[in-house]
Amino acid sequence: MGTLPHYLRIWIASARYSLVRATMFRGDLLVWSSVELLWISVNIVMVGVIYSHTSSVAGWSMYEMLVLVGTSMLVQRFLMGFFWSGIFEMGRNVRSGAFDFVLAQPGDPLFMASTRKLELDGLLNSVVAAALVAYSVRKLGLHPGLGDLSLYGCMLACGVVIHYSALVLAMSLSFWITSSQGVEGSYFTLMEFSRLPSKAFKGALSVLFVWVLPVVVVSNAPARTLLYGFQPSWAAGLCAATIAWFAFSVAVFRCGLRRYTSASS
Amino acid sequence: MTKYAHAFAVGIQSNLVYRWNFAVRSLFSLSHLVVVFILWGAVFASRASIGDFTFAQTLTYFIVIFFMGFFVGAFNEDYLISEDIRNGLINQFLLKPINYFAYRMSVFAAARVVSGAMGLGALLLALPFFHGYLALPHDYWRIALGIPALALTAVIQFSIAYCFGLLSFWFLEIQGFILLSMAVETVLGGQFFPLDLLPHGVFSVVRFLPFFYQSYFPAAILTGRQGLAFAEQGLVIQALWAVALVSLAEAIWRRGLRHHTAAGG
Repeated sequence: MGTLPHYLRIWIASARYSLVRATMFRGDLLVWSSVELLWISVNIVMVGVIYSHTSSVAGWSMYEMLVLVGTSMLVQRFLMGFFWSGIFEMGRNVRSGAFDFVLAQPGDPLFMASTRKLELDGLLNSVVAAALVAYSVRKLGLHPGLGDLSLYGCMLACGVVIHYSALVLAMSLSFWITSSQGVEGSYFTLMEFSRLPSKAFKGALSVLFVWVLPVVVVSNAPARTLLYGFQPSWAAGLCAATIAWFAFSVAVFRCGLRRYTSASS
Repeated sequence: MTKYAHAFAVGIQSNLVYRWNFAVRSLFSLSHLVVVFILWGAVFASRASIGDFTFAQTLTYFIVIFFMGFFVGAFNEDYLISEDIRNGLINQFLLKPINYFAYRMSVFAAARVVSGAMGLGALLLALPFFHGYLALPHDYWRIALGIPALALTAVIQFSIAYCFGLLSFWFLEIQGFILLSMAVETVLGGQFFPLDLLPHGVFSVVRFLPFFYQSYFPAAILTGRQGLAFAEQGLVIQALWAVALVSLAEAIWRRGLRHHTAAGG
């Protein structure tokens, strides 16, 4: 049961269902895609306004900053596209007992809970975020090779895993507390930090946001790879954070699952 | 008038039930100020002033915008109105001599009293950290004009939220519209950057939009970013927008009621 092709088939079935559902509510898809697009534009406008008054922020030029902002958005859009709805519903389902439905499915509960839905609007806007990164890289006169791009892709994937782990961790609190309200707002507040260059953080803030909470490293490590090539220290830091956060979140989820008493109790 | 005073009193009580929720959110939202501090600290690192304002003046602007939101911002009023319409709770107001706008405005005022108190608590906690960066002007006219500007801001914020809430007469799901408007309001309201940093031509257009008066205008008066003549002119435009938006809300309400079907016994 626990083989990769088995999970791949389940995921494809979920993806196909999400696709059909999205095309049934085309108006909704249009509105939500516009929402995402507008928020991307808002961030670009902010960078544009700031750089109309200065040429450098923490040593980063405007297009370097746009690579960072685009990278941060790519991570966020992939997370929202692939996992957000499933994980977000998990808290509510645990409270209502509807999580029984997930437990009755033929696969690992965490996998089944977090891959139930694809959000097409998030995935569509990841193309916009990728275009922003590509445009900025071109404006900087950089020509990253296939190796650099592959490394960038891997680091993005690590970033998505870290964000996924943080969300699972937050939502797993539903096994212990009655309400995990506000998690959404807290997540977006933390995401604001990921659009800042690591050099902007000083003293205790640097320790907290660059080293303790991996909010800065998830965007800075891939962006720096694209801008300055492979940097072993950043890559190692990102890999270590990915493994640690994923392992920790899975452990907390499993611990919480043991407390789950289902709808009938 | 007594019935709205009762609605206000009940609103205070029901909001106090969630006082810890408010308090935790207020504290967590302080991290937004940390993002502002890091970003603008990095922007000002290489220059003493931007747009004729120092780092302290710019940070003061963001601190005022941030805490102003607790007192005059519309947080979830659109959602509450939408829920009333979708669940049919609105029907009870149609059968009684109650003006729904005035009722909702009373509840909004009550919520802002409670969130304002929590905001004050958060401000007192944050003050030791930001005290050295506060640069408030000492002109008394700023207080005299700032207070009516804040009151009109509350009316504008509430009216816009009210109009979006009423969209539920026509649409099942309005969350997308709300987030679309929030993105526009965030930028054109001056929450991402002080609007006076925009190019002059753009600023001249933006100052005639209602969003300008949602956050930027009162904050600009109170923090010294605009002079007396601009404040006086602005107050007139703001009052006109407040009247226009209240009228629009009334028009949408009448139109929506024609579309509304009340079912049940």
